[in-house]
Amino acid sequence: MTEAPLISVENLTRLYKVGEEEVRALDGVSFDVRRGEWVAVVGQSGSGKSTLMNLIGALDTPSGGSYRINGNDVEKMSDDQLADLRNTEIGFVFQTFQLLSRSTALANVELPLVYRGLPRKERKEKAVKALEAVGLGNRMHHKPNELSGGQRQRVAIARALVGNPSLLLADEPTGNLDSATGEEIIRLFGELNLRGHTILLVTHEPRLAARCPRAIRLSDGKVVADGPGAEVASLGAPPAHVPQAGAAA
Amino acid sequence: MKTVRRAWAELVESFRIAFGALTGARLRTFLTTLGIVIGVSTVIAIVAIIQGLDRSFEEQIQFLGAHTLYVDRQPWIQSDDTWWMYRNRKKITVTELRAVQRESQVAVSVAPMVTTRGKVALGGVELESVVIRGTTEEYLNANGGSVQAGRFLVASDVELARPALVLGTDVMDRLFPGEPATAVVGKKVLVAGRPFQVVGVLERQGQLLGMPLDNVAVMPYPSFGRIFGAQRNMVLSVAAPPGKIADLESELTPILRRARHVLPGKPDDFVFNRQEQFLKLYKQLTGALYGMAVGVGLITLIVGGIGIMNIMLVSVHERTREIGVRRALGARRSTILMQFLIESAAVAALGGALGTAVGLGVAQLVALLSPLAAAATPSAVLFGIAFSTATGLIFGIWPAWRAANLDPVEALRYE
Repeated sequence: MTEAPLISVENLTRLYKVGEEEVRALDGVSFDVRRGEWVAVVGQSGSGKSTLMNLIGALDTPSGGSYRINGNDVEKMSDDQLADLRNTEIGFVFQTFQLLSRSTALANVELPLVYRGLPRKERKEKAVKALEAVGLGNRMHHKPNELSGGQRQRVAIARALVGNPSLLLADEPTGNLDSATGEEIIRLFGELNLRGHTILLVTHEPRLAARCPRAIRLSDGKVVADGPGAEVASLGAPPAHVPQAGAAA
Repeated sequence: MKTVRRAWAELVESFRIAFGALTGARLRTFLTTLGIVIGVSTVIAIVAIIQGLDRSFEEQIQFLGAHTLYVDRQPWIQSDDTWWMYRNRKKITVTELRAVQRESQVAVSVAPMVTTRGKVALGGVELESVVIRGTTEEYLNANGGSVQAGRFLVASDVELARPALVLGTDVMDRLFPGEPATAVVGKKVLVAGRPFQVVGVLERQGQLLGMPLDNVAVMPYPSFGRIFGAQRNMVLSVAAPPGKIADLESELTPILRRARHVLPGKPDDFVFNRQEQFLKLYKQLTGALYGMAVGVGLITLIVGGIGIMNIMLVSVHERTREIGVRRALGARRSTILMQFLIESAAVAALGGALGTAVGLGVAQLVALLSPLAAAATPSAVLFGIAFSTATGLIFGIWPAWRAANLDPVEALRYE
């Protein structure tokens, strides 16, 4: 009846040792994400959302619990397998863009395909397509310092999408942008979601979470709310006039 | 197939990154390679000069003949405290010459040599201290060399003790300045006050270890005996067929012992000198030089390698975020390791190539400005570059390992 979820997180725990003390950054987090969903993970700093993002991005491994993405049991994987998983299943979008400054936009977008071992010609074709898809067809040979902040984030999104991953994982993607540019980027995410991309957006801004069809609120490493974005965003946050999610599926 | 393609794509990417890093910070790249450049250029220059010396030395000792034994009372090379032992030995005389001529089956040619220094004069020109040598018509066969004009001594010159003289080119040039060798043949000169007729002129032989070989006048040994006394020590040059020099030595030993009445059980009172002894001595000398060059090279390569390691550690530190990004996009640890190894090897190889060029330049300059020769073999160049590349690889391991083992989460967050 129902299709298996794309992401399945069960009782996920991550402990850190700080000196003598153990800190539970994540404490038994469970949720599923289906294909085509656009989910915000919201919470204040220290709530565990960065830890969760690192785990879902396969950059880190959990101390306990299980995490499956697209049929892969991530917690059992070797370092090389994690690298391959990041390459094929996950597209990262970072707050600080994280573009390689010495490489052109095109070379930046090609990079995930280099690590996939695609031939040069195929790499270039796909990268050009991805850049055109984010509206940067005319900026391909510029280096990051020749691009505006919004353009840089578009390059990063193109890079995240080029390998056709099953999940787009965005960490405060508008954090370093002015509000108008941030709005453009959020609209772009909306379009991508409409085209079928699954998106997990990590943010501390309830205003952004409210724009997503679904949001998960973390606090002290635990899920405290999971539901429609607007509802979750308003919980515990100062009452505000939040725009309703318009472009959501 | 897929892994091969992936490895290839990563390799190409690594070279691209290395090239970008090297050309992106040219001054730093240059300073980093400096240690390697100095090391490699020093070694290449020393080796090129040694190889040049080798070649000129080998040319110089050609005239001694690889297949000739020189029978003498004393060895060419001796230590200071043994010379008296040889001086008291019985002289080698015509008796031994006749014995060898009569009995040896292996020898293809036997020539005696008696040598002294004396005056050669013509008109007002008087040359002091010319090497005057008495021998037979066999001299050139046993020793090598040839005449460029006229003829060499013949058997009748020796039998009749004729006043016939063959000049070396130095002597000819000084007695007959500007005259061609053909014009000199037939002229009369005075040797120690006695008239001699020039019958021929030898080809130029050059020098051996700084001693000129062409300051010589050759005459029949009986003529030599009449002027300088017949009781001088002789050296016998005995030529063997190619490859038979050991056979010749074992054949001559009993012949000479009988001729010199050496009692059984007593040691030989004569020696066999040969070209090889010079070669051996020479190899000992240059062996030490080679050792020094290798030592200097190793030390500078280590110093250069540490410089590269240092810069690579800085580079890894500076590019922590880049490493994090690459890891997030799917680079494996081994990919990052390879990337940094290739970069350090490339810096070192560049230094090696530069150092080789500088070293060859220095060697050429030395060859130009001094009597030393310089010869660079392709193997020396290859070794220079290969060794520096290996240095880069070895000293790049630790920085590359650190880069590969960075935690991607930490690396991405690094400011």
